[in-house]
Amino acid sequence: MLAELINPYYLQVGSFMLINIILGISMYITLSTGQLSLANAGFMGIGAYTSALLTIHFSLPIPVGVVIGAIFAGLLGIVVGLPTLRLKGVFLAIVTLGFGEVIRVIFVNWESLTKGSVGLSGIPHMGRELLKTVKELGFEPKMLGLQNNQFIFMAIFLILLVIVIFVIWFFKRQNDSRIGRAFSAIKLDEQAAESMGINITYYKVLAFAQGALLSGFAGALFAHMLGYISPADFAYHKAIDILIFAVLGGSEVIWGPAFGAFFLTLLPEVLRFISEYRYMIYGVIIVVMMVVRPQGLIDLNVVKWIKRKTTRRGLKNGTGN
Amino acid sequence: MLIEQLINGITLGSIYAIVALGFTLVFGVLGIVNMGHGEIFMFGAFIGVLVTTTFGLPLWLAFLAAIIVTAFMGYLLERFALRPLRNHQGSNHLAPLISTIGVSIFLENLSHHLFGPGNHPFRTPFAEMSIEIGSVTVYLVQIVIFVISLILMAALSFWLGKTKAGKALRAVAENLETASLLGVDTKKYITLTVILASAMGGIAGILVGMAFNAVTPQMGLSMGLKGLAIIILGGMGNVKGAMVGGLILGLAETFIVVYGDSGYRDAIAFIAIIVILLVRPQGLFGQKTSDVRR
Repeated sequence: MLAELINPYYLQVGSFMLINIILGISMYITLSTGQLSLANAGFMGIGAYTSALLTIHFSLPIPVGVVIGAIFAGLLGIVVGLPTLRLKGVFLAIVTLGFGEVIRVIFVNWESLTKGSVGLSGIPHMGRELLKTVKELGFEPKMLGLQNNQFIFMAIFLILLVIVIFVIWFFKRQNDSRIGRAFSAIKLDEQAAESMGINITYYKVLAFAQGALLSGFAGALFAHMLGYISPADFAYHKAIDILIFAVLGGSEVIWGPAFGAFFLTLLPEVLRFISEYRYMIYGVIIVVMMVVRPQGLIDLNVVKWIKRKTTRRGLKNGTGN
Repeated sequence: MLIEQLINGITLGSIYAIVALGFTLVFGVLGIVNMGHGEIFMFGAFIGVLVTTTFGLPLWLAFLAAIIVTAFMGYLLERFALRPLRNHQGSNHLAPLISTIGVSIFLENLSHHLFGPGNHPFRTPFAEMSIEIGSVTVYLVQIVIFVISLILMAALSFWLGKTKAGKALRAVAENLETASLLGVDTKKYITLTVILASAMGGIAGILVGMAFNAVTPQMGLSMGLKGLAIIILGGMGNVKGAMVGGLILGLAETFIVVYGDSGYRDAIAFIAIIVILLVRPQGLFGQKTSDVRR
């Protein structure tokens, strides 16, 4: 029964969705200090290539590769962030866009390491490696009534789900902490925040590096999920993809970009004819959103409204406190 | 050899300069980075291909058609992606940047559907004409491109500095509300600016098509990003800076292809802006005061 419900295709779409949610959140973190960074696709590429190369050439275990990839992207985020965060608004956006392009050009040209625009293949696959390990321990997917590839896709999906839940939990906690309050103070008014004694350089670089780390993390997961990456996966269009998660979903609350990523990954799958016109529709969505609802679909009011609704229903059913 | 490369570099640089003039005009007046400019430029090039290669009509008609179409696109861009944002009180200052990114994505993919993704040749007998000076071959197109870019720059400086419309435009750039209180029709001048910048993009599009004999939907993106790099290099909103920045980038790219690694050609522009923003954030020709207003 379980076996029929688990369709590898749905799980694959679900896994992409979860990776996109991580990317959306990485955008949200830098935006929560009022900085628009378009370098997230570049950092994603850094994470993906780092982890892929480490696991291919030094046969490190995948989790180690992913962690090193994410940390390396984060460190690079600090190095890039320190000088560029002196820039504001539009300038920062352009420089980060340029940074992404430089990264892409390096991936294409450093052929001895990255195999150029052909891309890297034969990256250890997360699900298959896991299957190998559990088989060595004497476990067979058939015990659960699953086929091998069902088990693989299911395992990936569940791992990513746990990771996403952890990431959302972590950043929600951070938002309610001293750091989160510093972020929103900087977003509202940098000068006022500085005169209140907030070290704005520190917090801006922190937010930028966190965004970079999270993008690199998502990129590394992406590499081990597909087993194949190429520079085109991390080019300008990816940067736009990530941007629109936050533009459509909203960047006031963490649920905004998460919803944006969820919705925009699902849309082309559900409406097949849309996928051909996907970017045209994205373009229109971006313009319309900026005109009609610049804060995105989900803002604080929506979250409050949903909370009120659910607690009221809870009270009616007698489960509320 | 060296002289020919120098000429190639100046040609490329002049094209960059014309594209950058469009960016700098919009930024100088509105304080907005128009990310859709590169795609409008690309549409200009496609109109050129359609008129000369597909319909076999003369070149001057291609220029005329491209100017009309891109000017109209500029109007639509201002009307639908910029004006509604201005009426929004207290909207984010990043909003125009993001909404023009939307326009650029839309236009790039529209041209994919209209013209197909491949490389379109731009055939015109004019592009084949050349003069031999000693051992050096100079194509007529290269001279025309250089002259047009100089004319556009001079006309733009004159228009902004010496005419009444230019004065009004500078007043709008200084302060939108004050200018409108003093009786300047701000809506008209803002629309005019975007239209003018777009038409210049259209001209640049045809020139690029002729010079390189290739037009693709992706050219808007790379040219747009380079145009942005140039206005940062030359100083945001500075006409002379756009010209000099364009020439510097054109020469640098040509010489790295000849003497260095051609693969890194596209990275120079960005390495240059990252350096310039750290060393001299106001750009080569910018004034300290001008970048105070966002």
